[in-house]
Amino acid sequence: MNNKISRRDFLKVGGLAAMLGTTGVVAFDQTKGKGPTQTSDHSLHAQDDNPPKQHMMQQGDHGDLPGTVGEVDHEANGFNPTDVLTDFDYGTVSTLPNGQTLREYEVVAINKEIEVLPGLVFPAWTYNGRIPGPTFRATEGDRIRIHFTNGSEHPHTMHFHGFHPAEMDGVPGTGPGGLVEPGASFTYEFDADPFGLHLYHCHVFPLARHIAKGLYGTFIVDPKGGRPKMDHEMVMVQHGLDVDFDDANDFYAVNGIPFHYQNHPIQFRVGETVRIYLVNILEFDLLNSFHLHASFFHYYPTGTSLTPAEFTDTIIQGQAQRGILEFSYKHPGMYMFHAHVTEFAELGWMGMFEVLP
Amino acid sequence: MTQSNSQPTTNRFTFRTFVLLLVPVILLAGVIALFLTTGGGLDLESPAPVENLDVERYHLEYNSVELYVRNTGPDELTIATVIINDSVMPFKVDPSPTIPRLGRATIQVNYSWSYAEAYGIKIMTTNAVAFETDIPVAFETPEPSSATFWGFTLIGLYVGVIPVFLGIFWFPALRQMGRRTMTFLMAATAGLLVFLGLDTLAEALEFAAEVPSSFQGIGLIGIGAVATFLLLEAISNSQVNASGDESQRRLSVAFIIAVGIGFHNLGEGLAIGAAYNVGEVALGTFLVVGFIIQNITEGLGIIAPVLRDRPTIGRLAIMGLIGGGPAIIGAWIGGFTPSPFLAVLFLAIGAGAIFQVIYEIAKLIQKDTAREAMPMTVFSGVLTGMMLLWVTGLLIK
Repeated sequence: MNNKISRRDFLKVGGLAAMLGTTGVVAFDQTKGKGPTQTSDHSLHAQDDNPPKQHMMQQGDHGDLPGTVGEVDHEANGFNPTDVLTDFDYGTVSTLPNGQTLREYEVVAINKEIEVLPGLVFPAWTYNGRIPGPTFRATEGDRIRIHFTNGSEHPHTMHFHGFHPAEMDGVPGTGPGGLVEPGASFTYEFDADPFGLHLYHCHVFPLARHIAKGLYGTFIVDPKGGRPKMDHEMVMVQHGLDVDFDDANDFYAVNGIPFHYQNHPIQFRVGETVRIYLVNILEFDLLNSFHLHASFFHYYPTGTSLTPAEFTDTIIQGQAQRGILEFSYKHPGMYMFHAHVTEFAELGWMGMFEVLP
Repeated sequence: MTQSNSQPTTNRFTFRTFVLLLVPVILLAGVIALFLTTGGGLDLESPAPVENLDVERYHLEYNSVELYVRNTGPDELTIATVIINDSVMPFKVDPSPTIPRLGRATIQVNYSWSYAEAYGIKIMTTNAVAFETDIPVAFETPEPSSATFWGFTLIGLYVGVIPVFLGIFWFPALRQMGRRTMTFLMAATAGLLVFLGLDTLAEALEFAAEVPSSFQGIGLIGIGAVATFLLLEAISNSQVNASGDESQRRLSVAFIIAVGIGFHNLGEGLAIGAAYNVGEVALGTFLVVGFIIQNITEGLGIIAPVLRDRPTIGRLAIMGLIGGGPAIIGAWIGGFTPSPFLAVLFLAIGAGAIFQVIYEIAKLIQKDTAREAMPMTVFSGVLTGMMLLWVTGLLIK
């Protein structure tokens, strides 16, 4: 009760005492003043520390688990998170006169309504109509040429993490590439360097809004000669969705759609080696994290070394931090992976690996 | 269409009159049609959807949270997701997630809530508009079982019936008093009623804030209060015209006081029942005692106008039931189907009735003071009545 006491508060209180004291619905320990003691049986279950068996049996497909019912329209969205895992974009490849490999990409920034939860539409700003944007993949030393066109109603840029000249930085004040007006184009060109796991995003101000609306993606630079071969490689971009624009995330996800990998588990077999390129571009919240159930992974922060820094099952990433995870499973079964910021997990950043025998 | 004979023209309702009456209506339809088709030259396209959803009440049972919602926005809306304590939960909506304007729906979520804990619930529509509500203290919502039904009945008994009857039991003693004392008691009753009337109005305003804006809670108070005041005024005037007997008139005033206090107690019952449902419970038996002390004055108020007469015990009992009984009905309604709309309406009716009764009592007192000058009796009486409620209120809080 608040400080404002009205006659009605008094009436409530008095009346309730009258009712409760006489009906025995709830008996009150008035001498100790510790509040209600349950005597009725209809409240017992919820209060029980050990939930009765019935609790587990009541769970259906989703039961009491957080999650969504139904499916978003991936076709209308123009992308499916299951495909985003592995759709590495190597670009249009040619060789420059000096022998250097040239990879060319076409990128268009467009506004797009994306159904992020069944029925719930997020008016996103996207690279090529998807969240996250395309996963560019090159080898150390390749020439990268990105033909960027702004097809939206706001100025946007592409700011890459990595080595490049100032005018290719995609930040206002660095020339024509620093602010690409609606309808305008710019070609970002630089060498893929250093090797590792990087990212790109729009750098137009207000920055938080331009990132939170969906303008980000992964940029993988493989070392010359590549990394050791794995059975599976996948990209996971961790991000938030501020669908009501109050500068706080309403949902969390990897690769665009909350709970997608919970509803569609990622399959591989016992003993198969898995490499995850994990990027965090989460806006508004300080930290994000990745926790793997029932296994451990070797972790390569930023992917800039071929020697793992850690063998663990949980890592933390701040915004724009990223790293490579390598692991396999010893036992078949369903295993959860999720942000060990459990609030994020229950708001969408939760998925399942289905390890087949 | 006046019936005055001084008009040279006949007052027959002709076809021509009918057409003339229709002309503005037809023109109005034309203007609306024009506006709807052209937008009237105004750009009324809203950049963001205007949606409004009211959570009217919730219902908790084992492993389940039910939310009773009403769409109070200008257009239909569709519920897309339900988030309880920062957890996206699968949910069902009956009859449909798409709710028409002013339509209602029930959202059901399987959620293993814990006793006595607090929950924040966020409902999002397909347009990503969020509506939030709180469960301040979670506990099993009382079902309309015979036990809870009896429980709410007992609440009503303690809140309304018992105090009112206790007050009426003063009747034999007060009959022995002189005319001046009786006038003083009438004035005190007026004072009590002024206090209760203000309190009822304040509560109506409080509930009006919870009423969905499209139902215009404040306007509802005006309608309920003014209509009740004028209706009771009309009834009491027609009774006076019919009988002209002053003791009959005093009896009818007593009945109207009982009705006014009855509506007031109905409102209290509603509030108590609703408070129980949302867990606004802090307890102590001494408060019940204080409650009875304060409300005994209501019974006193009912009998004050008829002290010099000899009403039958049956009549006194009926007045007591009219004054106190509605608390039981209020507790049932508030406990099982709490509705701020009904609460506002009942409280407004109560306020209207109470103020009309004050007016009636004032008239009776005027008659008394016309026979015998009692300059300070009325002043001290009214003040005593008001102070009585104020001071007993202080003691309890």
